[in-house]
This record gives sequence, structure tokens and C-alpha cells, in this order.
Amino acid sequence: MALTDYRADAMRCTRCSYCKWIPFDLVKSHQFAKGCPSIEAGKFHAYSAGGKLVTALSLMDGRSEVTDQVVDIAFKCQLCGNCDVACKLCRYDMEPILALREFRAHLVEMDRVPESYRPLIERTRAALAGKGPKTPADRNAWAEGLGLKDPTAEPVDVVFYAGCKYSLEETLRETVRTQVRLLQLAGLTVGLFENGCCGGLADKLGYRDEAAEAGQRMLKQWAAAGVKTVVTSCADCRHVFTRVYPQLEGAPEAMPQILHTVECVDQLIRDERLELATPVPMAVTYHDPCNLGRQGEPYTQWEGVEKKIYGQAVVYDPPRPRHNGAYGVYQAPRDVLAAIPGVQLVEMERSREAAWCCGAGGACREAFPEYSAATAAERVEEAASTGAEALVTACSRCELNFTEAVAADTASGGPGADLKVHDVLELVALSAGIGKERS
Amino acid sequence: MSPSYAKPTTPAETAAHSPQIPDDAYQALEDIVGAENVSRDAAVLDTYAFQWLAELVRPDQSHYMARPAAVVLPGSTEEVQAIVRLANKYGLKVKPHGTGWYHWSGPIKDSDATLQLDMRRMNAIVEIDEQNMYAVVEPYVIAAQLQAEILPLGLNLNIPGVGCSSSIVASACAYHGAGPDTYYMGGNAENVLGMEWVTPEGEIVRTGSLGSGDGWFCSEGPGPSVRGICRGTLGSRGGLGVYTRCAVKLAPHFGQTEWNVEGTLPAYRLPIHENLRVYTLAVPDWDAWAEIYYRIYDNEIGYIFHRQFNLAGADLAAAFWLMYNDASKTLSDVPELAADPEIIALTEELRISFQLILAGRSNDDIELQDKILDAILEEVGGHKVERFCERDMAEFTNVYLQRLGHKHINFVWAGGYIGSWMQFGTPDWVKGYIPTAAAGLERDAAGGKLVQCGGDAMMGSGSGIPLGGATGLEQFVSYDPDDYDSTVAGIKHMEDAVGDAAAISYPPGKEFLYLQIGWTDEQIWDALAHAKQPQAFHYQRKIKEAFDPNNVGDRMYPTLPEGYTAGE
Repeated sequence: MALTDYRADAMRCTRCSYCKWIPFDLVKSHQFAKGCPSIEAGKFHAYSAGGKLVTALSLMDGRSEVTDQVVDIAFKCQLCGNCDVACKLCRYDMEPILALREFRAHLVEMDRVPESYRPLIERTRAALAGKGPKTPADRNAWAEGLGLKDPTAEPVDVVFYAGCKYSLEETLRETVRTQVRLLQLAGLTVGLFENGCCGGLADKLGYRDEAAEAGQRMLKQWAAAGVKTVVTSCADCRHVFTRVYPQLEGAPEAMPQILHTVECVDQLIRDERLELATPVPMAVTYHDPCNLGRQGEPYTQWEGVEKKIYGQAVVYDPPRPRHNGAYGVYQAPRDVLAAIPGVQLVEMERSREAAWCCGAGGACREAFPEYSAATAAERVEEAASTGAEALVTACSRCELNFTEAVAADTASGGPGADLKVHDVLELVALSAGIGKERS
Repeated sequence: MSPSYAKPTTPAETAAHSPQIPDDAYQALEDIVGAENVSRDAAVLDTYAFQWLAELVRPDQSHYMARPAAVVLPGSTEEVQAIVRLANKYGLKVKPHGTGWYHWSGPIKDSDATLQLDMRRMNAIVEIDEQNMYAVVEPYVIAAQLQAEILPLGLNLNIPGVGCSSSIVASACAYHGAGPDTYYMGGNAENVLGMEWVTPEGEIVRTGSLGSGDGWFCSEGPGPSVRGICRGTLGSRGGLGVYTRCAVKLAPHFGQTEWNVEGTLPAYRLPIHENLRVYTLAVPDWDAWAEIYYRIYDNEIGYIFHRQFNLAGADLAAAFWLMYNDASKTLSDVPELAADPEIIALTEELRISFQLILAGRSNDDIELQDKILDAILEEVGGHKVERFCERDMAEFTNVYLQRLGHKHINFVWAGGYIGSWMQFGTPDWVKGYIPTAAAGLERDAAGGKLVQCGGDAMMGSGSGIPLGGATGLEQFVSYDPDDYDSTVAGIKHMEDAVGDAAAISYPPGKEFLYLQIGWTDEQIWDALAHAKQPQAFHYQRKIKEAFDPNNVGDRMYPTLPEGYTAGE
């Protein structure tokens, strides 16, 4: 696709501003009605999805040029997808999130990116070339002593992919180890490749070639070992595996089954392969990671053309699949929490498809740390407003951002002071008798 | 894409046609609001120039209205005052908007150097007075936010037809503000109480009781009674000063105070409280339609009263709404649904239908209203449309009309819609233009350049004034704004609708308001001079001279030049 392929989306944008809010039927308060972190930070209409579309249209129309502010508009955005959900409340002919991603890629081609991007992409390129500070073997140090199998040497039930954050962040090490131990407790043989980044960061940055290179490398590895199921603990990686990899040149027609750990554990609990007996008395609120929730629904790649019916009504040939966030992975984590004795789930006002982003997405944690932290702080405040003792999630990036936001609130006496932050599966592990409460 | 939409230009050429703000004025703006709250970046400005309906009135069907010279985000009334005074000093125009929707919410003329005020930083609910049933809000508070806060208190508010995404201040102070709730709750033109108004000269006027220090409770006094001056019937639409706060009257709410919406995106559902009834009602002909409206008014039943679902067009409404309620389906599924014999029958049943929500203060009250409605239906030969009164559709109707959070389905067919007709009067009078409006759309869509969904795609509030008595129906004409020929067909339809109305001795409708945005001053003066009461526009000139001597506001506050009379 090219940016010009989204020209019609811009021309048909009505500036209704739905993209700035959560779906209106779900609004329960003045404070938590907002849906788009980008415009809350940038404030000008241009920072909304509709505004980004028109910014791109203005460039395409030759009316304006790429300035530093345009670069900021395009990239200071978590690609969280709330805009996509809200827009599609009333529209079938718009694809905001795809257009926003295309806008980024377009600017990357022009080499007009935030300066904070450059070291990130250089690091990614170095890693792809095997010159990074962390080798694939380094990335697997977290798994030492877990007895994970080499999928190239022996058959395994599932291949585990931890993702960069779980692989490299010391503070998350125990979480990811616990996740694997849960799978093993349920009797799964778990394999682990030596490999690098999935390409997700490059993809979010808009560097598609680098993302494709990482993806193709991963796909070859899976194909060579005959991998049937990949379980990842990272919502971002799951998103890349399910939405980007199938489009890559050389991608197999039948991809391996891709599961997030929370989906896998949900199934293991249903199959009675995990016994959750130890009560975990805790009121928790669950944060839906964007890439597991509204952007985690089954995805079908579409290629086709627009056509008109009834004179001018816009449809597509073949019919374009509907990806509006209705069928994201919302229930599995809630069912997992419900299966833990003692856990009481209290929903935030903005949940499921209306969840406010943790702030880390779209490479913003790396590229715009202050903006990312402010977005996380709002979510932590919302979590605290439920009265829950802990904010639980199912994504390493969310967990990191929340942990830091809570720490900041604790230091400043903010609303999220002393809130606990957990991965869902940490609580499962406690109940299964293999975990320990984090200090 | 038609080549007509791709007129080559360059940033420099575009800028050359857009008046610039002097550097020292820009610096002064930065001093007032902070550098991060003002921009003159060309692309940023274009996101304000780009407006729905622009392509229907601008040269070459451009989607851009005039580009502002700068966009400013004020954070307080005092900042607004300082900006307006700066505009007076430098000869700039000031155009405020709330959420910024409609082609008139931005600068109108290319020749004007305009400061676009985006009010989004002023977004506080200042006060909710539960006892006295009013709320005070800033301009960027939208109806959904206030409703969410007041429902738990047993209160509700009129949400205008534009939907809950709209600014309360904009509809109450500067536009019409009628909608499905108006029948019971009043329109926002009536519901506005105290206002805080920064005049075009930069004076802060606090109206009604607010002006005498007695709070927000009354629009007309004790204190300056200037509601008629600063807002009138239709409102000044950003053309006469800036409204920075206002109070609106609230209404009692009889449904659940817990807003627990269920269902799957996009067709959410709100369970129906025991004191509510949610109906889609159908009548056999337009005479019965007028009659049932009168009887609903006379018997004082009903809470929310609207002809909503017909916006999808009488030929396709049944198929469309059933499609919409299935999250897995898309517009591509509509033809197959529309060909289903059961849905064909439902389509016929729904042809002359509307929605009515009854709300009772008690079980006895709601049961009485139900009985009255049944009796009315029997008398006029109407009935409840069973499929649309089943639980799924009734709960969807309930959330749709209670919150008005799906109003941009207006654009669902092709991305563009024109509201034509919508002349407002008694049901019998409205009934008189329906056949002409329907025939006009059939004719204009026959060439395939407009969406063909049936000649009657008319939607409207059961009553646009409190307690019933007057209604109006707006024809929903869908066109593709990405298609030049379709856009041109839309323009032709608007012009045709004006002529069609004149041919049956009706005044022009909503399309006339749209069209005027692209006219020259002389064309507008001629139209105003031919209005029923042209003297009003001379009176408004006097007001403008008094409040806006430097002509800071734009022509959305309509006036006639001194001595101007209707020509031939």
C-alpha cells in the first residue's frame, strides 16, 4: 500500500471527532471519556486520527510541506487503535489505523522522522546484522535453568517467544519465567529458539524493510523446525505475528497457530490441566493491552477494490473484512482472573475496546518517554479510581510503563501511589502454587 | 478520483492565497496562551480548513474552507478576552469553534486573516446544581460527558440532533440545539440560562441572573437580558463574539441511573428500565402520521420522540439496521438482506415509521402512557413494529436515542451527506412537502450519482419545540465526497431542493443555509432582503455596529447594509 491509497479515507473524513473519544455509548464520566492520547498531548486537531489523515492529505495535495510539527503529529501516537474503533462505530469505508501506519512509513521513506528514532532504528539494524550488544544467546539468558527445549533438535508442544522486553528487562525476568513454568506445570513441552527481535519495534517505527527482514528470518526458523504453535508473552509480538507476518513475501499460506500466553493458559485452565487452588485475595482491575484487545482480533488480510452499489454507496470487492475491535482478546484474561479463587475483578470505566492506552505503544515509550509516561499516568489514575489493589495486564510494555507510573505517583503522592502492578499470569502462578508475590 | 480534485498546487501558492498573521501579532498570541497553544504550521491550519460540506460550496469543489492565519487554543475567559482584543488591534477576524464541525465553523472568506479559536482546552464542567437542575459548562464539554455525570443524579439533558459529540455551549449559545429530546426537555436555545460572553470588542458580558451576581439560574435577569441579541433563534454560529461558559437547564431522568451498556460494538444495547418503553411505531399513510403526532402532543405522553432510522432511506432502512446490529456484517451484506422476503415485508412495514420512548414517573404512570399510546394507535390505524420492538432492537434503540452516540451514521453510505428540506412547522404543514421532497431525491439520485436508498430518507425530531406542536423532516442525501461527479450531483440536489420548495410555496430548507456559505456578500444580502422579515437583518446590523465596530466577527451573524432593500 501507499499513502495515496488512503486518500479516499481522508476525503471522506467528516471531521466528526469521534476518533478523539471512546465510543460514546460507553462514556460513564467526564474525566474518562477521552480516547486518544495523541490529541490529549498535542491538542491541535491535527493530532487526532482525522487530523492526521488531513495532514497527510494536505501534503498529498501539495498545500503544505513536512515540517517538524508534521513529524511530531505523525509519530507522537501510540497507534493504540482507539480511533479505529470509534470511527468504525459509524463507518465502513475508513481504515484509520492502517492509514496512520502508512503515514509513518511514508515519512520514513522521506527520512523525516523524530531524531529520537535514529538510535532506535540503528540499534535494530545492528541487531539484524548480528552486531547488536545483545546476541540471540544473550536474549535467552532469562530462561536459564527452566529446561526449555531446542525446537530444532526435538519436537515440542509449543515454541515460546518472550519478546524484547521480557528477554532483556531484568525487572520482568521473574514474570516471564513464571509464565513458562505455568506452561510446563500444565504438561506442555516448551521450546525456545535462539533468535532476535520479532521486528515489532521497526514495524511500529515505520521501518518496514527492517521489520520484514526480522519477520522473514523468524518465519524461516519456524518453518525449518515445523513449528505448529507459537506462544508469546508479548502482546506487541502477537500483533506482529498475526498482522504483519502473513503479509510478508514468502510467508506460508498456513501460519503456525499464534497464541498469547494468557490465551494459552485460559485454554489450559478450561482443559483442567492447571489447578488453581490457592486463594489470592485481591481486588484487581484489568488493563486490556491495545495489541491484544482491540487490535488482537482475528485478522484477515484483504486485497480488492472499491465498488459502488445503490449508485454511490461504498463497498468493496471482494467484501472487506471488518476489523473494528469487536472480537479482540477480551474475555480470556477475564476468564483466567475469574478462575483464581479470591480474585475480585473491578472494571475500569474504559475497558475492552475502549481501553485507554498504557502509553508504551507505537514505539512511544522509546521515542517520546515523557508523553508515554503521561499517558500511563492517566491509566494508573483510572485504575486507582476503581479502588482496586492491583492493576493487572498481559503485556510487558504495559507492565513496565505502569510500574514506572505507579513509582512516580508513589514518590509524588499521586493517585496511583502504592498500586500494585502484576501480569495476569503472576496471579495464576500464585494460585497454582508456583509463584511468589513480588516485593 | 476525478482529475478535478487534483489541481496541482504548491505550498507557496496555497500560502499566497491565505492571509498571514503579522509576526508581532503571532508573538503576542504566544505570550497570551503559550507557544505550545498556537500554531501557524500550514498542515495544522489545513486540518482546520478541511471541513465537511466545504466541497459543496468552495471553488473547484475543494475540501478546504479558507485557511486560518493561525489557530489558537485559549485556556480561560481572560485569554479569550486578550485574544479578541489583539484581533481588534491588528484587524484580524476571530472564529471560535467547540468541537469544530460544519463548514461554517472555520473561516469563510479567503481574504480574511482569521484567528481560529479551538476551545478544547476549556473543557470543565464548572458546576452541577442538582437542586435547581442546571449545569454550567465550558465550551469543550460535550453532551455525552455531561449526561454521564448527571444520569446518576436522576437528571438528563437535551442532546441536539447533531449528537452527543457536540459542544453544549455551541448548541446552546450559538446554534439551534433541537433534537429527539426537545419534545420533553426543550431545545438548547430555550434551555440556555446564564452565559459568559466575550463580545467582539473583548468585553466580558455575563448575562441574565449571572450579570447581577445571582448565579446562573436565569437567562433573562435580573441582569442584562441579551439572549436575543447574542444568540437569536439560529445563533450567531461563531460570528459574534466567543462564549466561554454557559448554564443549561436539565430535565428529570426516569430510567436507570446506572449506565450499564451491553452488547457488541457497534450496536451497543441499553437494557430497558421498568419505567421506560421503547417503540418503533408505524402508520399507514402521511395523514395518519400527522394525526398521531398531534395526538401524542395533545395527550402529553412520551419522553424521546424522533423519526431516526429512516435516515438510511425507506427502501433500505430495515436491511441496513439489521446489518448494523450484526457486528460481523458490512454494507456489502445489505443487498442480500434487502432481498430477503421477510425483510422486504419489514421494509414496507417501516415505510412511515418513527421512534418513541415513553418514560414514567412510576409504574402506574408508564402503564397509563402505554394504554394511551395503544388507544392512539388504534384510532389512527398505527401499530408497533414487532421486529424493531423485540429486545435486541429495542435495547439498541434505547441507547441510540438516549445518548445519540451514533449520529455520524448520517455518513455511512458514502462518506458525505446533505441535509435538505427540514422546514419546521406543524405536522400537517410538514406533511405537505414530503411528497415533493421524496420525488426530488428520487429524481436527483436516478442518475446514480447520489445514493439510491428511497426517495424518503427523511429524519427529524418529533417536536423541535417543548411540549410538541412543531416538527420538521430533514432529507438525508448521501453523496461520495471522494467522487467529483457525485459531489456535483449533491450541489445540484441542493439547488433543486430550493426550487422544489419554491414551486410548492414552501420556504427553502436547510440546504439553503449550506449553500449560502459559498455565496458572495451580495448574493447573501439579496437572499436576506427577500426573507419574510428583512428588517430583522437591519436590526442585526445595528447590533453588530454596537458590539463589533471593527468587524472582528464574520458574516455568520447575518446583517443587511444600511438602506439595502430587495431588488427584482
